[in-house]
Amino acid sequence: MDITRPIVEMRNISKTFGSTKALKGVDFTVMHGEVHALLGRNGAGKSTLVSTMSGLVASDTGTIRIAKTEVTANGQPYAAKIRDDIAHVQQTPQLFNLLTVAENLFLENAVVQKKFGIVSHKRMLDKASALLQKWNINIRAEALAGELSAGTRQLLEIMKALCRGVPVIILDEPTAALSNAEKRMLFEQVKALKALGISFIYISHHLDEVFEVADTVTILRDGLVVKEREKVSNLTVELIADLMMGEKTARSVRVDHTQAEAPPLLRAKGVGLYPVTDAGVDFHIQPGEIVALAGPVGGGKEALAMMLAGQLTPYKGKISGSNETLPTIGLVPTDRHASGYVGILGVRENVAIGGLELLSGRFGFIKLDKEAAHVGGLARQTNVIASSLEQAVSQLSGGNQQKVVFARALCQNPQVIVALSPTRGVDVGAKEQLYALLRDLASRGLGVVVVSDEEDEIAQLANRVVTVFEGKITGELRGDYTMKDLILRMEGVA
Amino acid sequence: MSTAMTGQAKPGQEAGRSRLAAFGSAFVSGGYTMYPVLALLVLVGAIVAPNFATGINLINILEQVSVLGLTTIGLTFVVLIGRLDLSLEGIVGFAPMLAAVCLVPATAGGFGFELPSWMGLVVALGTAGLIGYFNGFMVVRVGLNPFISTLGLLVLLRGGVLIVSNGRSIYSPGPALTYLGSAKLFGLPVSVLVFAFVAIAIGLVFKYHRYGRALYAIGGNEDAARAAGINVDRVIWSAFVYAGLLAGLAGVLMTGRLDSAVTTQGQGIIFSAFAAAVIGGVSLGGGRGTMVGLVSGVLLIGVINNLLTLAQVPSFYVQASTGAVIIVAAVLTTVASRRSSGVRTRT
Repeated sequence: MDITRPIVEMRNISKTFGSTKALKGVDFTVMHGEVHALLGRNGAGKSTLVSTMSGLVASDTGTIRIAKTEVTANGQPYAAKIRDDIAHVQQTPQLFNLLTVAENLFLENAVVQKKFGIVSHKRMLDKASALLQKWNINIRAEALAGELSAGTRQLLEIMKALCRGVPVIILDEPTAALSNAEKRMLFEQVKALKALGISFIYISHHLDEVFEVADTVTILRDGLVVKEREKVSNLTVELIADLMMGEKTARSVRVDHTQAEAPPLLRAKGVGLYPVTDAGVDFHIQPGEIVALAGPVGGGKEALAMMLAGQLTPYKGKISGSNETLPTIGLVPTDRHASGYVGILGVRENVAIGGLELLSGRFGFIKLDKEAAHVGGLARQTNVIASSLEQAVSQLSGGNQQKVVFARALCQNPQVIVALSPTRGVDVGAKEQLYALLRDLASRGLGVVVVSDEEDEIAQLANRVVTVFEGKITGELRGDYTMKDLILRMEGVA
Repeated sequence: MSTAMTGQAKPGQEAGRSRLAAFGSAFVSGGYTMYPVLALLVLVGAIVAPNFATGINLINILEQVSVLGLTTIGLTFVVLIGRLDLSLEGIVGFAPMLAAVCLVPATAGGFGFELPSWMGLVVALGTAGLIGYFNGFMVVRVGLNPFISTLGLLVLLRGGVLIVSNGRSIYSPGPALTYLGSAKLFGLPVSVLVFAFVAIAIGLVFKYHRYGRALYAIGGNEDAARAAGINVDRVIWSAFVYAGLLAGLAGVLMTGRLDSAVTTQGQGIIFSAFAAAVIGGVSLGGGRGTMVGLVSGVLLIGVINNLLTLAQVPSFYVQASTGAVIIVAAVLTTVASRRSSGVRTRT
């Protein structure tokens, strides 16, 4: 094999989801035995690009060559053709919880199969035990995958990819759930395999890791390559941040309505975000304030938000209001399809379930005229576009569904609103409307807590940014922070 | 904005069509799908069986379906939240039997408590409610799948009936216990009035009460209901209690009509109740179904049974054809609801 020729060659890759152009004609190459870091902000197209590479998502245009296999993409699935040349470790482990570690590791792997595809359990267990020993992981090969810690599951997923014997491996945020010791182990294995000529595509939000493990860097922004195959030694953190951010400085339209002197609406004292933890988190929200909770997925920001919203009981510590009683809190959950709206019910019923107490009279019967007026008002306030208030919410566009969820959260006239990923999967127009809504709510003295992974969103909204990592509050930005402050903070460098 | 909300800005040409479509979807979602079929059946019945369209026979049908009707309403409480309760059938048999053995003297097969007759109602409904509470506990607290927990309880209650009655039916258990199922008021059986009252009251609760709204929300998307601040666990738990109470009431009516607590009482009724609910457009996946539709399902089953009997169809064929009709009707309701709303539902 000619090792001076790239092992991965992608030309003119583009991908459109609905109205969003995730990739706009990207070229990408990986050499033999190279660790190639792919950088960019959330939504820049990193995960989409590697997904088109592994065939998890089919590219709309262009050509992809991996080792000797070449495919011309036209939006049709091609994952099966390149299956033997590439492994893709996704952000969240895709393990079978009810299968053992060994079964997960060697699922559909020919090395443990005998004649007629019969799986040799002995061979599988031996190989799995050897592998676990090599990685210095102290678990039995017969343990169920569902019993393992998040870090071990992540390692297992990586091991599974490595033992398939493919020449190219994608690691998409592999260290998100790993402890420092586990990270060391991973980096050692990556370096060892690199020496054997295996290539890696490495996505991470931690620039320090990139400097440690990567040889080459490609930076994406808004679905385009802004820096192609740069040697990591030629780059600095500053330079990378500038490239990721781009020319356009996000219009900072955030307004500060914080009533700093007023008593806080909601206060968390020594709240434990994980079941077993020594750390306690202190947090408070003022009337008129928009606070963003930022930090890596699983770091505790979602847990804190759900505890503030009263949906999750703190493992320790206490959440209290300004006096004895808790304020009314409206919640916009993180995944609107899973826990946001009730698809088979209409807009009216969906909004009304957020405020059944407010809308019902004596004996608990709903006052229909009050319901119509209140829901109609909320639908106008949140700009819901529907053919009528009776239209099933599953038939609405993503943006309108999210507006319905906001209207529901506001139905009980809350004093605090907790919104997780408030604009995920929402088009630009609806996004702006939702931002305007949140600012408007703050101007009326509500406290707004936003959980977000998007720097743009935070920069446009938040008067205060609190970063939560490993169950602790690790930093706070307030007032006149810049976009750069924010990006560095969220990439885990500052 | 306001024009977009109400949809009045549509061109006049389309208005007629969309009004028809709107009527069609309101007709289906309101639960009226089966009424034309029911009317057709009654018409056919009046022609083929001369005894069918008489006042006495129609009242007779209503009396016969009132037990099934109450059981189906009870079942609908738990089906609306996407659960099910097979033990309702056991409650129909067990609750009145336990009441009966508490009332009658030991010589008639009782425990010898010889409680006053009105206590029979308390025992029957109290038992039914407690069984419902137990079901709720098993589902909400223990986290059992309601299919298996209520199946077990159904079998247990069937055995329980035989244990408390020593395997013998109890005759004439007492006037207060049998009043609801046997007496007449204004020329109508009290059981029909009870069914009508319960259907209207609970129909209003389903549609206009916050509790009903919570049922639909939980059935449609439990997590969304939780996020909206509904106390989901309490609603699920209470739905099982209401289901049990209604099954207990159905059992009391049945015992009253027969003037005895029979050991096989209620057997097979849960299947008819599921059939009636599904025919009436109640989605077994939860979140969908109306009282108007449910009642149509109950009536349809009653009319079919009655017609086939009057037409002197051999009894083996009655059972088989009821089954066939249930399948056809279920297909019809599902297709109608899918076509009118464009939302796929699990029946």
